[in-house]
Amino acid sequence: MPDTRLRRSAGVLLAAFFALPLAVLVVRAFADSWRAPALVPQHFGLRGIREAFSGIALDAFANSLVVAVIVTAIAVAVGWPAARVLGERRLRRPGAVFVVLAMPLLVPSYATGNGLTEWLLRLNLADSITGLVLAHLVLVLPYVIVVLLSAFGPRVTVLEDMARSLGLTPLQRWRWVTLPAVAPTLAAATFLGFLVSWSEYGSSLAVGGGRELLPVILLPFVRSDPQIASALALLFLAPAIAALGLAARAARSPL
Amino acid sequence: MDTRHPALAAPTTPGPAAAVVGRDAARARVRRQRRRDRVALAPALAIVVTVFGGALLGALHASVTPLSATASAGATLDSWRALFADPAFLDSIAFTVKLAVVTTLAATGCALAVALMLRSRGTALRALASLPVPVPHLLVAVTAVLWLAPGGLADRILGGLPLELVRDRYGIGIVLVYVYKETPFLVLLLLAAMGRGLAEREEAAAVLGASPAQRLRWVVWPTVRGPLVIGAIVVCAFVLGAFEVPLTVGPNYPLTLAEYASQATQNDVLTGESLAAAALLFTAVIAIALAVIAVRFAKDPQGA
Amino acid sequence: MNRNRTLLTILAVTAALALAACGSDSAPKSGAPASAGADGSWQATLQQARGQTVRWWMYGGDDKINSYVDDDVAAALAKFGVTLKRVPVTDTADAVKRVVAERRAGKTSGGGVDVIWINGENFASGKKAGLWLKSWSQTLPNAKAYVDDRDPSISTDFQVPVAGQESPWQRAAFVYAYDRAKVSNPPTSLDALLAYAKAHPGRFTYPAPPDFTGSAFVRQVVAAKGEDAGFAYLRALKPYMYRKGESFPKSQAELDTMFGDGQVDFSMAYDSSFVNVGVRRGTFPKTARPLLIGQGALSNTSYVTIPANAAHVAGAKVLANVLLDPGLQALKADPNVLGNPTVLDRSKLGARAPEFDRATGSNPYLLKDFGVPVAEFSADRVEPLEKRWTRDILR
Repeated sequence: MPDTRLRRSAGVLLAAFFALPLAVLVVRAFADSWRAPALVPQHFGLRGIREAFSGIALDAFANSLVVAVIVTAIAVAVGWPAARVLGERRLRRPGAVFVVLAMPLLVPSYATGNGLTEWLLRLNLADSITGLVLAHLVLVLPYVIVVLLSAFGPRVTVLEDMARSLGLTPLQRWRWVTLPAVAPTLAAATFLGFLVSWSEYGSSLAVGGGRELLPVILLPFVRSDPQIASALALLFLAPAIAALGLAARAARSPL
Repeated sequence: MDTRHPALAAPTTPGPAAAVVGRDAARARVRRQRRRDRVALAPALAIVVTVFGGALLGALHASVTPLSATASAGATLDSWRALFADPAFLDSIAFTVKLAVVTTLAATGCALAVALMLRSRGTALRALASLPVPVPHLLVAVTAVLWLAPGGLADRILGGLPLELVRDRYGIGIVLVYVYKETPFLVLLLLAAMGRGLAEREEAAAVLGASPAQRLRWVVWPTVRGPLVIGAIVVCAFVLGAFEVPLTVGPNYPLTLAEYASQATQNDVLTGESLAAAALLFTAVIAIALAVIAVRFAKDPQGA
Repeated sequence: MNRNRTLLTILAVTAALALAACGSDSAPKSGAPASAGADGSWQATLQQARGQTVRWWMYGGDDKINSYVDDDVAAALAKFGVTLKRVPVTDTADAVKRVVAERRAGKTSGGGVDVIWINGENFASGKKAGLWLKSWSQTLPNAKAYVDDRDPSISTDFQVPVAGQESPWQRAAFVYAYDRAKVSNPPTSLDALLAYAKAHPGRFTYPAPPDFTGSAFVRQVVAAKGEDAGFAYLRALKPYMYRKGESFPKSQAELDTMFGDGQVDFSMAYDSSFVNVGVRRGTFPKTARPLLIGQGALSNTSYVTIPANAAHVAGAKVLANVLLDPGLQALKADPNVLGNPTVLDRSKLGARAPEFDRATGSNPYLLKDFGVPVAEFSADRVEPLEKRWTRDILR
C-alpha cells in the first residue's frame, strides 16, 4: 500500500492543478488592465462587474436557468427508461439503438445547426419556447441517456429482484433500492445534461427568438473584451459550480 | 442466450406438461417485457429521430444545393467534389483524426489515474478536481492562452517557457487544453460508476487474498470499463467536430475539420454554407464509424 | 425484430416528411413585399411602425456600442412608438444564416430578423441570392436630406452597388497602433514598415486571412503595390515577422493582446477608434497611439439592411432613418462616446452642423486625418486574394 501521506498530497495537488488555473478568471474579472509583464493587474475596477449585473445579463441568467431546468427535467424523465433498457442489455441490437440515440453527440452540432433552424422553421416552432426547448433537448437527451445507461445492469436488477421477493411495492423498490443504487450516475447525468443546455450557444441564437440567453450574451465578449467576458463567466459559472458540488456529493453519500 | 434474463429463469416445476406450460408462460413474459421496452424507448427515439433527423436531412440537403437566386439549381455534388479536391481539406482530415485519437487516449489514461487517486477522497477535493467541467471550452482555451502564451502568466512567473505551447505546429497546445478539460469530465463518470459498493467489493477481494494489481484487473476495471468507453466515444466525437479550442491555440496550418468548415463560411456565407455542411457531415461519418468500432469492441455486460 | 421495423418506419416517415417539405425550397415569387413601401408615403410607414418591436441583429462584443444602441438609439426610436430589441451576434454571418434558413424553409414573410448591421461580402452574397428588401434606403427622409448618395463610398459597398438595399450607418478606416513609449519614430509607409521589420525582426505580425483584419491588410498592400508586387512584398516581409512568419494570430483580438503584452510593436484594425477602445478595455497601454501607414487609409462604410421577409419592415425603416439622425450621428462621432466618423454629408447638414463641431474635441487615441481614402476592392476579389495568400505565404 503506497504511503498514505504521499497519496493524500497527490490528491490535493491534482485538485489544485485542475482548479487553480481557473481562479485566474476571478482576478481577470476585476482587472481593468492586466498586461505583461505584470503578475498582478495594473488596475483593478468594476467595469466588468457592472456589465455582468446589468439588466440584460440578469434577464439572460434567468431565462437560461428556466430553459435549462425544463430541458433537463424532460431529458431525465424521457431518458431514464431508455437508459434502463439500453443498460440492462435486453435488446437484440443494442449497438444500433445506441448509435441512433447518440447521433446528436457524434455529429458536430455546428453541422446540423442550420438544418435544425430550417426544420424548426418548417414545423413553425422556431422562436417559440417549445422550439427552443426541443433544440436544447435534442442535445441534452442523448447526453443523459449515454451517461445514465452505465448505471443500470445486472447488479441493479438483482437488487430489485431481491427487493421484490422481500415483498416491497414497486414504489418502495424504486425509492429504496433503485434510486440509491443509481444515484451517483444519475447525479452526474443530470449535472452534465444541465450544463449542455446552460452552455448551448448555436441554437439559442438561431431559434431563441431574440430572447436574452447567457451564452448568447457572453460569447461576443470572449475574445474582444476579457474583463467583461470574465465577469460574465463568473455569473455563468456560479450555478454550474453549485450543481457540480451537488453532483460530487451525491456520488459519495447515500440519499 | 437469453438465460441471463431473470424473466427466463426456468421454473422448477417437474413433469413434461408442466414444463411446456412453464415455457409458454416464460415466452409470454418475454413478449410483455419486449413491449415494455419498446414503450420505454419510444419517446426518446421519437424525439431524436424526428428533431435531429430533420436537422440532419437539412444539412445533407444544404450540402448538395448551394443557395442562389435562381430557384431550382438542382442537386449538385460540386461542394463535395471541391472538398476532396482541396489538399488543405485532406490535410485537415489527417490532422483532426490524429488529434482526436491522441487526445482521447491521453484523457482516458489520465482520467483512470486521477479517478483511482481520488476515489477515497472527500466531496471538496472531487469538486475542485472537476472544476473544468462546467467551464465552456472557449473559456478554458482563453484561460490557457492567458497562462501559456508568450507573455502569458507562466511566462511572467518563470521568465520564459521552454516550449511553444500556443500555435505550435503539432497541436500540442490543443491536446493540452482538451486533456485539461476532458479528464475531469471522464473522472466524473468514473467516480460515479465507482460510487456504490466498489470499496466493499475491493475489500472483499483483498480479504480473499487478491493483490492490488489483481483487484484492479478483476474488480475495478469491469466496473469502470463501460462508462470509460462511452466517455471516450463522447470525447473523441467532440474533438473531431469542435473548433473553438483549435481556433484559440491551434496552428495556422493544418486546420482542424471544424475550423476548415467555419473558414469556408467566412467569405461567402451562401456557397460556403454548402462546403461547410459537407465538411462537417464527413466529420460526422468519421465519428460514427469510430463509435461503432468502439461499441463493437466493448460488447460486454455492464456497459455499452 | 418488430421493434427494428418500428424504428425503420419512424425513420422512413421522417425522411418522407422532410423530403416533401424540402420540395418547396424555391425562391419567393417576387422581391417586393406586399405591404410597406408599396405606397411610398413616409407617413404611412410611420403609422405602420407604431407598436412594432424591431429585432436588430448586430455584433455584441463592444459594450460602448451596445449602450449607445440600448440607450440612445432605443430612446430616439421610442419617440416613434417603436421598441428596439438588440440581438447580439458574434459574427454577422450568424444573422445571415438565420435568413438563409428561413429562405430554405420557404418563409417569405414574418421573418425573425428585422435589421442586420452588415457590409461587404455578407451583403454581396445576400444581394445575389435576393435576400434583402429592395429599393428602400433612398426613400428615407434623413437619407434624402443628409446623405450624399453620389459619394461612391456610400453608394457602393465593396464596389457592389447598394441599389437601395442597405442604409449607411458607420464609416471605418484601416488604422494601425503603436506604443509611443517603445517606438519613437513609427513607419508611415509600407516600405518603411519593411525596413522597420528588418531592423527589429520578430516585432510585427498580422492576422492570417481569411480573418477580416488580416484580409484587409493584404488588400491594403495589394492596393498600394499591385497584386504580384504586393505578394512579393509580403513574401519579403515574412522572415522578419513574429516567429519568422511561421505562425500568425488567427484574429485581431489575438493581435491586440500580443501588442498589449509587448510581444509585437504594432496592431491594426478596420476600426478607426480601435486604439480608443483598446485603451478603454485595458488591453492597450495608455501610451498607445493610432498610426496611418501609406497615403491614405483603406476605408469602408457599414450599413443596416432589411431582409426581404422581415416581419416588421416599417419599424425597420424607421430605425434606419433614426440612425441617420444628425443628433445621433454627432453623438457617435463624439470622441468621448464612440469616435466614429459620420456617414452624413457635412455640407448638407445646414442648421445641424454645429452639433458636429463638438465632435472635434481632441482625443489622442483618434486620428483626425485619414489621408486620401483608399476605396475597397470588389467583393469577389476578396476571396481569391485570401486563397492566394494561403498558397503563397502561409505554406
